[in-house]
Amino acid sequence: MIIDTNAYLGPYAFRQLRYNTADRLLRLMDTKGIDKAWVSSAAAITHRNVQPANEELAESVRRYRDRLIPLAVINPFYAGWQDDLTACRELLGMKGLRLYPNWHNYKLTDKCCLDLIDAATALRMLITIPIRVEDYRQRSWLVDVKDLTPAEIVPLIKAKPQARFVLLNGTGYTSSLLGKKNNDLPANYWIEISRLSTVMANEIGKLVEVLGSDRIVFGTGMPFNAPDPSFVKIEVLQLSRKDKDRICGENATTLMS
Amino acid sequence: MNRREFLAVVAAAWPAANAFARSAAKNLVIDSHAHLSFRASPADEGNEALVLDAADKLGIDQLCCSILPKRPATVEGFQTANRVMAAAHKRHPDRFLGYCFVNPGCGQAAVDEIRRCLDLPGFIGVKLYNEHLCTDPIVFPVIELATELRVPILHHAGHSHYPVKEQPKMSDGGRLAELAKRYPEAKLICAHIGGGGDWEWTIKALRHAKTVYLDTSGSVTDEAMVDMAVKVLTADRLLFGCDMSWTAGIGKIRAARLSAEDRRKILGGNMQQLLARRARPQ
Repeated sequence: MIIDTNAYLGPYAFRQLRYNTADRLLRLMDTKGIDKAWVSSAAAITHRNVQPANEELAESVRRYRDRLIPLAVINPFYAGWQDDLTACRELLGMKGLRLYPNWHNYKLTDKCCLDLIDAATALRMLITIPIRVEDYRQRSWLVDVKDLTPAEIVPLIKAKPQARFVLLNGTGYTSSLLGKKNNDLPANYWIEISRLSTVMANEIGKLVEVLGSDRIVFGTGMPFNAPDPSFVKIEVLQLSRKDKDRICGENATTLMS
Repeated sequence: MNRREFLAVVAAAWPAANAFARSAAKNLVIDSHAHLSFRASPADEGNEALVLDAADKLGIDQLCCSILPKRPATVEGFQTANRVMAAAHKRHPDRFLGYCFVNPGCGQAAVDEIRRCLDLPGFIGVKLYNEHLCTDPIVFPVIELATELRVPILHHAGHSHYPVKEQPKMSDGGRLAELAKRYPEAKLICAHIGGGGDWEWTIKALRHAKTVYLDTSGSVTDEAMVDMAVKVLTADRLLFGCDMSWTAGIGKIRAARLSAEDRRKILGGNMQQLLARRARPQ
């Protein structure tokens, strides 16, 4: 079972995405052997009011809920986020969130965000945080949104031990507290692999050593990114079949169950 | 005289052609944009074993490497880097090929260094970074010499829609296209489509610069990147590379919708042709 924890649907403001409808993404997944994907709205990244994009996403995956698991994009700095969250969980059946603090004008440790984490945790929702959307060097002249840093995430992890976080599209964990042994942080965060190395610096191997293979999850960033590089990482990763199975699907299954 | 005998004669006559003789033997996977770590002593093997281990895991046969000293590079800096490169090739002649790295701002010393290196075994081209815009006349003697020696010039490049404070003299695809107009005989390689900012801009800027190649290296693995490059530039102008982003480099080629022939060209065939220019009598 291969589960992509880092996938998206819908239009993105600054670039065409070729596989951004449910049908096309599923076709890509079939080609690559991906069984399921956690998807959120790419449009919601730049929308002010994100809720119509969440509703559109839910509708687009309605017929494919066995394979496309929708996550809600919630902006806690925008009016009515509590209603949006409740609607996403209870009406649209979304079991997780995607947060974009730098795109949506708040910080992870702002009260509004902490309130959102509490509310989502009470609803047993998983919280995923993309460290970035695209490579910063190719950003549009219209926006200048910086990547999150591991250091910005640490206080949130500490402050909300009951919450469960999945960090997407990130790198540099092994040189941050998040990837250190005995870091005194709760084991409430998982790390997705799409930007991590498996040769030379071998960040995935080091994170498995420090955190365990049950804290690493497979992801690709499709359709922003090609899924193949993540498969190459898994192929060259020097781990047991059991560890790879955990990373590729078992951990994600547990997180979403 | 058969092909093998011809290559042996050429190789004996011209040291750098040894590299071509080896790479022409089969369809090799050649990383056109690789690096080795800078170190003060050629005896120090630095990260060579790690690089080879990565290449082995990913099925990369040969790596066209440069070694970059602290920049802006001094004469002493690039001479040391190139001496280390020569030693790395000597240790692993079938795996490491070298670009001679210079700072064109060093004038005659840069030109002399290129002549010295390209006469040594294993050097196959010139690498330029961001000390000067590629359209600055100070760079022209280097371009002219590389053209005379029939070797490619791998030029660091990127296009951002914001000023890049750390690299105020970074060239981009547009400038390389301009340089290609001035020197249509030069074989220019625009570096790392996946590490140079807005890749769609770069591909479009290079469309009409038929003598400029584009390498596929860099950490960015955006879906459709290589496909667009093939559509606009053709597979004949693309060179596989990693620039140390190993799985990204292999993965994006694997992801691209390519015919077997186009894949062969990009993975090594085009680079083999570039290397062959050196060996071929003018």
